[in-house]
Amino acid sequence: MLLIYCPNCLEYREEEEFSYGGEAHIARPLNPETLSDAQWADYLFFRTNPRGIHHEMWYHATGCRRYFNATRNTVTYEILETYQVGTQPQITGTEA
Amino acid sequence: MRQLNRLLAAGRTDQNKVLNFTFNGKDYQGVAGDTLASALLANGIDVVGRSFKYARPRGIFGHGPEEPNAIMQIGSGASTIPNLKATQVELYEGLEAASVNGWPSVNFDIMGLIGAFGRLMPPGFYYKTFMYPKKLWMTYEHFIRKAAGLGSSPVESDPDSYEKLNQHCDVLVVGAGPAGLVAAREAARTGARVIIADEQSEFGGSLLASTQLIDGLSATQWVADITKELGAFSNVQRLPRSTVFGYYDHNFLAILERRTDHLGISAPSGPRQCMHRVRAAQVVLATGAFERPLVFAHNDIPGVMLASSVSTYVNRYGVAPGNRLVLAVTNDNAYQTAIDWYHTGRTVVAVVDSRTAPNGVLVEQVRALGIQILEGHGLIEAVGSKRVRKALVAPINEAGSEVTGSVQSLVCDLIASSGGWSAAIHLSSHTGAKPVWDASVVSFRPGESKQQERSAGACKGTFGVLDGLIEGANAGAEAAKLAGFGEGQVQFPTPLIDQIIEQPQQALFLVPHSKTTSRAPSQFVDFQLDVSAAGIELAVLEGFESVEHVKRYTALGFGTDQGKLGNINGMAILAKALGQGIAETGTTIFRPSYTPTTFGAIAGRDINHLFDPERYTAMHRWHVDSGAEFENVGQWKRPWYFPQVNETMQQAVDREGLAVRNSVGILDATTLGKIDIQGPDAAEFITRMYTNSYLKLAPGKCRYGVMLKEDGMIFDDGVCACLSENHYLMFTTTGGAAGVLSWLELWQQTEWPELQVYFTSVTDHWATATVTGPNARKVIAKVCQDIDLASESFGFMDWREGTVSGVAARVFRISFTGELSYEVNVPAHYGRYIWEQLIEAGAEFNITPYGTETMHVLRAEKGFIIVGQDTDGSMTPADMNMDWVVGKNKAFSFIGKRSLERSDSVRENRKQLVGLKTLDPSAVLPEGAQVVNDPNQPIPMSMQGHVTSSYYSASLGHSIALAVIKGGLSRMGDTIHCPAADGSSIAAEIVSSVFYDPTGARQND
Amino acid sequence: MTKLDAQDVILESPLHYFSKISSHPVSSNQLFNGDLEFGVVAKEIRLGCQLNLRGDASDEHFVTGAESVLGIALPTVPGTYQYNSDTAVYWLGPNEWLITSATDALELEALLRSKFEGHIAIIDVSGGQTLVNLRGHGVLTLLKKASVYDFYSWSDAVPGAGRCVQTTFAKATAIVANRTDGSFDIIIRRSFSDYIAQWLLDAGQEYGCRIESC
Repeated sequence: MLLIYCPNCLEYREEEEFSYGGEAHIARPLNPETLSDAQWADYLFFRTNPRGIHHEMWYHATGCRRYFNATRNTVTYEILETYQVGTQPQITGTEA
Repeated sequence: MRQLNRLLAAGRTDQNKVLNFTFNGKDYQGVAGDTLASALLANGIDVVGRSFKYARPRGIFGHGPEEPNAIMQIGSGASTIPNLKATQVELYEGLEAASVNGWPSVNFDIMGLIGAFGRLMPPGFYYKTFMYPKKLWMTYEHFIRKAAGLGSSPVESDPDSYEKLNQHCDVLVVGAGPAGLVAAREAARTGARVIIADEQSEFGGSLLASTQLIDGLSATQWVADITKELGAFSNVQRLPRSTVFGYYDHNFLAILERRTDHLGISAPSGPRQCMHRVRAAQVVLATGAFERPLVFAHNDIPGVMLASSVSTYVNRYGVAPGNRLVLAVTNDNAYQTAIDWYHTGRTVVAVVDSRTAPNGVLVEQVRALGIQILEGHGLIEAVGSKRVRKALVAPINEAGSEVTGSVQSLVCDLIASSGGWSAAIHLSSHTGAKPVWDASVVSFRPGESKQQERSAGACKGTFGVLDGLIEGANAGAEAAKLAGFGEGQVQFPTPLIDQIIEQPQQALFLVPHSKTTSRAPSQFVDFQLDVSAAGIELAVLEGFESVEHVKRYTALGFGTDQGKLGNINGMAILAKALGQGIAETGTTIFRPSYTPTTFGAIAGRDINHLFDPERYTAMHRWHVDSGAEFENVGQWKRPWYFPQVNETMQQAVDREGLAVRNSVGILDATTLGKIDIQGPDAAEFITRMYTNSYLKLAPGKCRYGVMLKEDGMIFDDGVCACLSENHYLMFTTTGGAAGVLSWLELWQQTEWPELQVYFTSVTDHWATATVTGPNARKVIAKVCQDIDLASESFGFMDWREGTVSGVAARVFRISFTGELSYEVNVPAHYGRYIWEQLIEAGAEFNITPYGTETMHVLRAEKGFIIVGQDTDGSMTPADMNMDWVVGKNKAFSFIGKRSLERSDSVRENRKQLVGLKTLDPSAVLPEGAQVVNDPNQPIPMSMQGHVTSSYYSASLGHSIALAVIKGGLSRMGDTIHCPAADGSSIAAEIVSSVFYDPTGARQND
Repeated sequence: MTKLDAQDVILESPLHYFSKISSHPVSSNQLFNGDLEFGVVAKEIRLGCQLNLRGDASDEHFVTGAESVLGIALPTVPGTYQYNSDTAVYWLGPNEWLITSATDALELEALLRSKFEGHIAIIDVSGGQTLVNLRGHGVLTLLKKASVYDFYSWSDAVPGAGRCVQTTFAKATAIVANRTDGSFDIIIRRSFSDYIAQWLLDAGQEYGCRIESC
């Protein structure tokens, strides 16, 4: 049971209010038709799945209904920061 | 019956309050304040159970959650709980207890015969023997379980209620022994919200059995005072009888509070147990320590106990579990037990100390009492069968590795042992902290904190009471400060207590025997699972090196005590066998739960009608009153069909369907998801989400659309209406509503924030009644005068605003039946009223309410798909023969479009939606049936597809089915077969999926 | 065009079928008996309308326009609401508010729209949810049973303003707000209201729980 700081509600809220949104910062290709099947598949199916720092989307489903991003350590489950969609994380890297 | 072992000094019990109880069907008496264990000992009960593998008789060994032997079934009937430890069960009037592992009786046991063959059951026995042949495993497993005596679950539903509370606090203190009590007090005075929980019936922990004075008061009086002091703080919640059983991510801890278990049948109504789900800013762990028994030959005979347990029974419960005590120790601390026993007036035969020249304070006190101390000796073997009769002792070398002299025999009926103390590091381990071996205290200590927690007192390896008090106070003040309260300074003076200086203990775990470990009588490490020192050595001989592997191979620590008693001894013996230190060997990982937890407490009140929310429409009570049978659609209860007297389901569905086709029916369509969409970019956004375009959809118009996931597979479908410029209403499937809304939000918020559009769920706001059938217009005309219903002004796929029976309504001409349809939407407060008005208006046309089953039949007759029934997440629009809904020339590459061109999406032989018409018109194919070309081919047959929907159609007079079949659209007219498990097969012809009114003339009417 | 008289139209609130139902440790599920003392009283309040408002909080025109119609400022601090005698505005998200008002929905929506320009949305949700006031000595612990949210951390409501939150409630969801008299309002979805009422009766049984519909 994670405790997640919602950057819109400005407080820590319980995990059961949220749903997980998968890896963040994956832009949809602007011209999908120009991509090869392999390139499209890379966008569609392949994720980094790192051991350590991971940037991911969360949806405050029963709260403010906003998506936001979180930087989470996939080993310790520690959430190092949450930040607005469209902004960049302060904490980056691959190792825990 | 006389309580042979009851002392005059009552300890914490009230000997004036006699309580009657039964054990294995026999009547006994105990007193208020007893645990079941202390009462059994008072009555001189030696054998309380049988061991797992060898069925050896076992007696009470400990006094708390470490107890491995006295595992009980408590109560009977629906309220019974299996696998409780007698040491943790408070005695109450009328308590019924039975051994769980004595089948069929603890004193004479057919499984005892297996004990004679114990040598034939080495570690890994189950893996080596019972796994093969594989098909017999279930048989073995059944036998093992029964023999192992895991207790029995009640078969009736639980009559008790259980509570669940979500708690938040600044400081959670786990354990109310000396360290925990002062920690809570320091945190409390800062104003922090404090919860202090302890698993025992009263606060005090080890102090409840202590004979020391604190601040000049008896330890129990000091505990009573500080407990009262804590109660005076409004910011402190005290939870006795409350086990913190799990420490989870981000300082989330779970507590099981036993509220009425100790009251038995006299319990008042109200929850039996309460689960506290605690989010704590800071945690202080003060969970104490477990005494470690010495491992020696036949150390499992009833009458062998922990030294501290003997003291606890004497001091706290006023029970002396024997007459002649031999005490085997490696440390000063346990000498207290000899002193305590001496003061009962019973005999201390000898203290057997493994050290050569002990001379600590307690040692000298014992010596002064004239008690014999055998220095440099080991207690190498207990003798007896159902009770200890003798202890064999011998001189041992300084290293404690071998017997160096002749063995002498001491007559006794009680052996207490102490190999030192093991810190209760379980909760700290739950956080992922890696325990650290500390040779100076011969114990693991908690590892580096992974969460906002700190340990204090014995659970940190600080075994002296004074040191524990100091550490506890500091921990409480520090935790409060980090939670934002106080300055971190200890406020209260350190309680005054004599510090007893102890001489170093010896790190001895396995006492040597005159024979080698493999030849000596069994030296048990884990009592529940009969893991012996020889077994661990054998595992090493067989090549196991990792502690985790040895644990699983030998089953060390697998019992309901989870190795609280035996694990450290096991690790030490393993380390020695591997020729390395305990630090390098490490320990296994403790995981939740600390002690077993009832399912009742985990479920709480989320049972029966509250298990899952039932969502009702505004017309629900009308349906109930009209005798509807209901179907679950997501969390919604939808009318399934409305049987009339003596009608079968098929008859009802036939009648309802014919009514729609021939006159008019009415359906509660409230549950469809509805999303209000507003904004200058609404049309652009919607067009990106659906396969078709909405850019030119005019106000007053509706359009059917299909939504894909980015992989090109159908995810939802429904109608979208243009309400006014920049304002749309999107209908979703009943089950897909929440998923579609978050899907829209995902794309708008994360991918296209520049598109100006807002989404709001209005599913609950509207109640929807669908009036459908050739007479639908006539019915609507009776209740609605301000909409021109003529087909040319209000056509198919139009919507209008108007007044229906005095209520402002939106009326949509959309159809899921293929008939002329009007979907009347009103704010839900008016839902039942409008429904009844429509029923009344339709009476002259015999308007017929119909349910979801008829709806399914009618739409299948039209070949309309149901997402999630005819599709399964792997179907493209082309697979559903719905290419017409895909706007291939849309400017923007809508969600899923690119994937429709992937090689797998365009490959030949994809499964395609077709109709099936059985050759026998009355045969209804089973939904899910596999389709094959030749039913006589050998198994495994070559599957061509499967049936997705199948019904009997009353209006067509034959059965109909929809199926997805490889290349099905180019196989019209082919005959296929649906074989059943019983060998029969139904033949059907592949036909168009549209069975009824293929031109759509009726819905367009 | 004919129109029925307003009194012919029958309106059912979400808790319509829970008129004076109670659970009590002594006499469970009997009809309301005024003599019994209830630790939790759940009273459904009839409102003129409930509107969902969407817009840009940084757009001054939008903010002042809303205030001029509602008579109170849009709360921009997360988790707060503002109210006056007949209107309340709850912060639901960074661009989302719930307005409850004694005014008719169509009328209020038209008034608001007349003050706004640009990208806003107003959605009538009056039929989709209902406001229930929970009062009594058992309410705070009842909320601990219902929700993972820490209501104890709230400062007290003051005249004109209080705290609010959208969160889980039993296995459904609710907007919860505190009031100056120590009671709480919950705003629940219509389709879940029957479940929540059943849940309240069960969870409130230890204090005695009464439900009054409007």
